Amino acid sequence: MADFDRESMLEMFSYEMNQLVDQLEQIIIESESGFSMDIINEVFRIMHTIKGSAAMMLFDSIATATHAAEDLFFYLREENPTNINYSELTDYVLECMDFIKEELVKIEQGVPVDGDPQLVADHINGFLSRLKGEGDSVSSGAIAPVAASAVSDKAPVPAASGDRPFASRQYRAKVHFDEGAEMENIRAFTVVNNLKPYVVGIVTEPADLTNEETIPSIRRDGFTMSFSTNSEYGQVFDLLNRSVYVRDIFLEEYVKESIQMEGLNSFEIFLRFDEGAQMENVRAYTVINGLKPYADFMLHHPADLLGENAAEDVQKDGVYIDLVTSKSYDEVYDQLMQTIYLKELSMVDKYAAESPAQVVSIAEEVPVAMSNETIAIAQTNDAAATPANLSQNPVVPADNGDGAVDGGVAKRSTGQAVISVNVSRLDQLLKLMGELVIVETMVTQNPDLQGLTLENFNREVRQLKKIIKDVQEAVMAMRLVSLSGTFFKMNRIVRDMCKALNKEAVLEIIGENTEVDKNIIEHIGDPIMHIVRNSLDHGLESPEQRRAAGKPEKGRVILEARNAGSEVWIIIEDDGAGLNRDKILAKARNNGLLTKAENEYTDREIFQFIFMPGFSTNEVVTSYSGRGVGMDVVNKNLEFVGGSVVVDSVPGEGSVFTMKIPLTLAIIEGMIISVAGAKYTVPIVSIRDSFRPIPEDLFMDPNGNEMITVRGDHYNVVRLHEFFGLDCEPRDVTEGIMMIIENGDDAICLFVDDLIGEQQVVVKSIPKFIKKIRGISGCTLLGNGEISLILDVAGFFDR
Amino acid sequence: MSNVMEHDLAVDGRRDSDITKNLYLAFVVDDEQYAVEVSSIKEIIGVVPITIVPQTENYLKGIINLRGDIIPVIDVRSRFRKPEIPYDTETCIVVVLFEDYILGLIVDRIIGVYELSADMVAAPPNAKLSYSNQFVKNIGRKEDGVLLLLDLEKILFV
Repeated sequence: MADFDRESMLEMFSYEMNQLVDQLEQIIIESESGFSMDIINEVFRIMHTIKGSAAMMLFDSIATATHAAEDLFFYLREENPTNINYSELTDYVLECMDFIKEELVKIEQGVPVDGDPQLVADHINGFLSRLKGEGDSVSSGAIAPVAASAVSDKAPVPAASGDRPFASRQYRAKVHFDEGAEMENIRAFTVVNNLKPYVVGIVTEPADLTNEETIPSIRRDGFTMSFSTNSEYGQVFDLLNRSVYVRDIFLEEYVKESIQMEGLNSFEIFLRFDEGAQMENVRAYTVINGLKPYADFMLHHPADLLGENAAEDVQKDGVYIDLVTSKSYDEVYDQLMQTIYLKELSMVDKYAAESPAQVVSIAEEVPVAMSNETIAIAQTNDAAATPANLSQNPVVPADNGDGAVDGGVAKRSTGQAVISVNVSRLDQLLKLMGELVIVETMVTQNPDLQGLTLENFNREVRQLKKIIKDVQEAVMAMRLVSLSGTFFKMNRIVRDMCKALNKEAVLEIIGENTEVDKNIIEHIGDPIMHIVRNSLDHGLESPEQRRAAGKPEKGRVILEARNAGSEVWIIIEDDGAGLNRDKILAKARNNGLLTKAENEYTDREIFQFIFMPGFSTNEVVTSYSGRGVGMDVVNKNLEFVGGSVVVDSVPGEGSVFTMKIPLTLAIIEGMIISVAGAKYTVPIVSIRDSFRPIPEDLFMDPNGNEMITVRGDHYNVVRLHEFFGLDCEPRDVTEGIMMIIENGDDAICLFVDDLIGEQQVVVKSIPKFIKKIRGISGCTLLGNGEISLILDVAGFFDR
Repeated sequence: MSNVMEHDLAVDGRRDSDITKNLYLAFVVDDEQYAVEVSSIKEIIGVVPITIVPQTENYLKGIINLRGDIIPVIDVRSRFRKPEIPYDTETCIVVVLFEDYILGLIVDRIIGVYELSADMVAAPPNAKLSYSNQFVKNIGRKEDGVLLLLDLEKILFV
């Protein structure tokens, strides 16, 4: 606890929260059409975990918002109502998720977590009460909070209304934690925090729970709370029991019978100090401390007498004390009268109904009588209390550590045992792996071994190579992240936009298990989102328009990922109206973007304009698009990872956006080739075939492009030394090698001098001082320390 | 040659802006003496095999492998548009650090390290009479002549 590192806990916290929120969002969206009992349980568990963690880290806003949602799902779970509007339910839960996400961002950015959860909580509570209202009027699940006005508003002058700051029931509770719970003070604090929305005037013993020195005593003796609330015993018990690691709860309610039976008295006291007395709060504090030794139960309002505005409040509104004690009326009264600067004192024996109220006014104030009946504040809440809850948990131990168990279940249900590792460590591991692969080659192909017969050595080398390869694959796999998370997030976007735009659409997801490097995935989430948004906003028509066009009313957006050689393609297809070529061309003309004659532009080139910054053909700016940002982001992010995007579109039938993203796997299988004395590496995945050409198969087209016929298919020939402008004697085709290399569906024939061999190579980037060279994606070190440039196969195609 | 290298390594070993302040590494390119601040020098190596990178400027000779790091190398002769000569045992690659770029500069030969106090350094004349003059930031005086102090930023990016 001493070296309690909040920073790292926060990191962990936000990591876990983000995961849970994502998981939850996914579940909710999937079940928008109806929640099964399993789902409700799952949601409840996750909500519970989020709430518990947030309260533990003292993020009250998150805890409060989740608490409302948890209540809602608690009700759903217990009552299983049939009249649920799932769409509405989903809206509210998502609203709550959004709120949490916002707060999480604040936490990550280190700014104050100050969101107001009230709106979210109100929405959910409103929905809950509607649900209850429509359903069985007798049953009602959650505990309604005490009317806030009773707590926070400045209490009026007591006599006028007889209004008191306390609620109708008084409780004292003692809570013990599980052994080994650790940080008991924080846990106690959490319990108190959980209770706060429902109770008034909570007083704890030990008083300062933020002080770590209280840990031993809480661990040994538990901690005690006194408070008043309108909630019934069972509900209060439930509230207490919700906190994690709670072992024992001793909860006692001070009702008239029990007080009288034990020979106790219950008094309501009101004090006010002389004007100019100064430090009224400290004076009140002294009075209360004086009463403490005899008090079985005591509450006071304001609860926090040492707070910032306490002095002012006490000066203005006085102090209310609710006291249960063995002392008689006179004894207490005498003691209070000794208080200096006392201006007004009124004291009522609550249960001695026959005894007249005694009011003393020390100054010239008109004596005021206090009603000796307990006035229930927000009694309606009380009436709504549920018997279901009462019967819920009469005894404690069964639910021990329930939060901890919940957490475990929630995690298991993701199907992964995950640890989070700093990416820089993975990078380091990868770098070492690269060194290892190079050294392996240096050792096994060492020139000193040339010409030796090394039967045993070679056997062990094979074993070594196998193991190194396995290790390497494991290292690579660690860096790969499936696209599913990124893809499933789009469900939410599609859903929200459909609602907002009054459109109907289904999102089909294909190939979401395709994996790409972690560094890349971070940069493609936004592009995907912007394109999906664009498809929904501009692509898909309204249901009416679709019906008129003879299409199904429900639009379709397909989000697909697939491996294509050394690239991953992400394809976003919609069956909407398609892009308006003429409109885009006109806009490009107006913006002065055209660089050649209009009729020379291909459709693809024209569609590329939509990725220009500030380019929007939408006249109306909506909340989703029209500002001309967004699509610009697509290009920028893709360029960053060395990817590209092309658009195909047919008017009236829809558009297809194809994003091509390099895998940039840091270690690849490469074929080492030689050209003009230099060694180049071609990724094996791109090689379809290689052969020694026959001159008769080669021919020229009228433009002078060299071509070759291979088994009836024709390919363009690219002579690598020409392509790179290398200085060397031209070779006769019969002395070189032709390699058919492919990129997606395309293929060309690459003419090189010789094949040297196949080898695993570690991809290193070309130093950034050298600008991007078409046809080269990186470089690698060969076994002898020589550098070999790695060919970027895609570079040979888009000319 | 070899004694110069040792001297420089010693400087490199106790890299410290105070120690290297006012220290310049002098070298020869086409019979002219140039120098760069020792503080911007990472190390000096002999010529190693250079891998040609296609479609780059002529003076960018390619990339080298410096203990696993890939570093571009610039031939200073070529950069100054002086006639190129074959590399020999005296030819060195001065590995410099500029901002976060690491580059090798191929020079004819190293002369040594000189300490030039501020009053021994003067601005060059305004008139840029030859192409290579634009890379000269300052002119330093030493007992037996002058050192042209190079502006790395210009060499790298102009």
